[in-house]
Amino acid sequence: MDYSRVLKRSVSAALTGAALLCSTAAFAGEVTVWCWDPNFNVAIMKEAAARYTAKHPDTTFNIVDFAKADVEQKLQTGLASGMTDTLPDIVLIEDYGAQKYLQSFPGAFAALTDKIDYSGFAKYKVDLMTLEGQVYGVPFDSGVTGLYYRKDYLEQAGYKASDMENLTWDRFIEIGKDVKAKTGHEMMALDTNDGGLIRIMMQSGGKWYFNDDGSLNITGNAALKAALETQARIVNEGVAKQTSGWNDGINALTSGDVASVLMGVWITGTVKSQADQAGKWALTAIPKLNIEGATAASNLGGSSWYVLEASAEKDEAIDFLNEVYAKDLDFYQKILTERGAVGSLLAARTGEAYQKPDDFFSGQTVWQNFADWLVQVPAVNYGVFTNELDTAVTANFPALLKGTPVDDVLKAIESQAAGQIQ
Amino acid sequence: MATTSRSSLKRYFDVNGWLFVAPAVALISLFMIYPIIRSLILSFYSGRGMMLKFSGSGNLVRLWNDPVFWKALENTVIFFIVQVPIMITMALILAAMLNNPKLRYSGLFRTMIFLPCVSSLVAYSILFKSMFSLDGVVNNTLLAMGIIGEPIGWLTDPFWAKVLIIIAITWRWTGYNMIFYLAALQNIDRSIYEAAKIDGVPSWGRFAFLTIPMLKPVILFTTITSTIGTLQLFDEVYNFTEGKGGPADSTLTLSLYIYNLTFRFMPSFGYAATVSYVIVLMVAVLSFLQFYAARERA
Repeated sequence: MDYSRVLKRSVSAALTGAALLCSTAAFAGEVTVWCWDPNFNVAIMKEAAARYTAKHPDTTFNIVDFAKADVEQKLQTGLASGMTDTLPDIVLIEDYGAQKYLQSFPGAFAALTDKIDYSGFAKYKVDLMTLEGQVYGVPFDSGVTGLYYRKDYLEQAGYKASDMENLTWDRFIEIGKDVKAKTGHEMMALDTNDGGLIRIMMQSGGKWYFNDDGSLNITGNAALKAALETQARIVNEGVAKQTSGWNDGINALTSGDVASVLMGVWITGTVKSQADQAGKWALTAIPKLNIEGATAASNLGGSSWYVLEASAEKDEAIDFLNEVYAKDLDFYQKILTERGAVGSLLAARTGEAYQKPDDFFSGQTVWQNFADWLVQVPAVNYGVFTNELDTAVTANFPALLKGTPVDDVLKAIESQAAGQIQ
Repeated sequence: MATTSRSSLKRYFDVNGWLFVAPAVALISLFMIYPIIRSLILSFYSGRGMMLKFSGSGNLVRLWNDPVFWKALENTVIFFIVQVPIMITMALILAAMLNNPKLRYSGLFRTMIFLPCVSSLVAYSILFKSMFSLDGVVNNTLLAMGIIGEPIGWLTDPFWAKVLIIIAITWRWTGYNMIFYLAALQNIDRSIYEAAKIDGVPSWGRFAFLTIPMLKPVILFTTITSTIGTLQLFDEVYNFTEGKGGPADSTLTLSLYIYNLTFRFMPSFGYAATVSYVIVLMVAVLSFLQFYAARERA
């Protein structure tokens, strides 16, 4: 046996190992991040990365922009196959899916319980990333909802800003019919194959598809029932322009086809992307459901950052998230004014950016509105099967349009869902 | 007789022959046989994500009681029953027409009809989506021509969404099947037709009693490949409906359901494997039936 070769090899292996250790200690790796939405998450992550590299010049970032579905599918495939080296160091996960990943891939994500001060974050965000006493992930944006509307269209139909305050869904539909008759524009775009609006309405009523213990809450769910009935009325009374798919809906909004949009605060960037529509938009609280305990505040989407346990740059990634997302208040002011990101770091909520009037909305202090509504959002348990339930709801919704009694539709949703959630 | 069997036995024990096929066998075992066996084993496990437990026939019970599975199966069968005959007939007729030696620019027409199946899947899906949207060019044209009174919800109505998928796959794959028929038609001796013509057989008769019987093997082949293709239908539905199979699950196919079970829902790898074996079973049974039917008449 050639001992000198063995010796050489072990020495070089040891040296490489030592070099690797040193590099980790000095944080000189490349942190790869997967996220979606170039105008929002990607742009914000780039800003965060720039801030971190300014202080730690050895760290570089590789921020990869995928479609949301692609991020989720690539992540799920990588985790399932065990090929962890194909995965990034940091990944963005939508809140609805957080528990699904944590529970079905135990050990895949780094527990950050002792590394990040979670007391500074909104509790509902921390709760949904907690599993068996361990907290995973760094809370990011909130999806607090608002109703953005075209002032010019509503004025044409004879409505003032004061008419848009304290709306109920009944009133909203009434106004919508009027706007359609007088201006020819539908009040909103609606893709009934997407459960978004139902989820917004249901959560504003303080309920979700599941009880707190994770069991199904369908047939006895007054908020879901009211949400289904309301959406059916919106369709049947011609208030909505029916669209198919996300881009179709966004197109209806940016092209000036529809008079309002009801979405999470993260849509602000898209609304403001049409510079020629400046001054034509205004913001108000979402309409209330006609049930007890209904609020005019809800949530749609929202997401958080997670670090992969197998990541080679794990410590660096955690340090980065901790330094920027958990501490840098100035960063939150900047992403709020530039991107419309309402973060869930509580201390960032009092900054002056929140009081700043927005010219696009004719000087309305929109951010203050969102900050006010955020605290009113009813906390619900998203559970682990939101996608399954969404599918069950959208699959059975057309029956409601055709006149099937709502209780039968709820029963159908429940029986479909029961088969899916095992 | 004895010598042949001895020589074939000798060949059987010849190491060199085995060595030649060994690399192929190894690759096939690794990339086909192993996954097939592994997925069969997987179909007896259930659980969330990687937390799999042996569940025996649990997945079969779940399958039996799963309304979404039955809906996906129903949709898949509808697509297959409606779309395959339409496409095969159209391909046959087009091939017969384009095979006419008197036709001018036949090369151009053939290319035009064949082109859809080599076009980019995503590009054509996006184009179809915009053409068939509520205020898209198709609805506007039909409205302008007075054929319909109000726009059709191609992407929002459960019935029309199915029709749209059928239109799309027919558009894409008819030309592909036509090429097989054209190739087969070129091999038919023209003198047969001339003889039939002299005997006074009209052109539809020549098509029905000469062309179709002579194309039978090719028709069988295209029917089986189209059947398999339609049973595995995924791309169009995924691209048209953003992976949801909507509206109201009306375009959900078995393949899309498998995909959703694996990637969109709480990952149920075992159950997804069970559903995929349903497709395997259907392909096997239908192919067998088609072979059987064709053989009997021959």
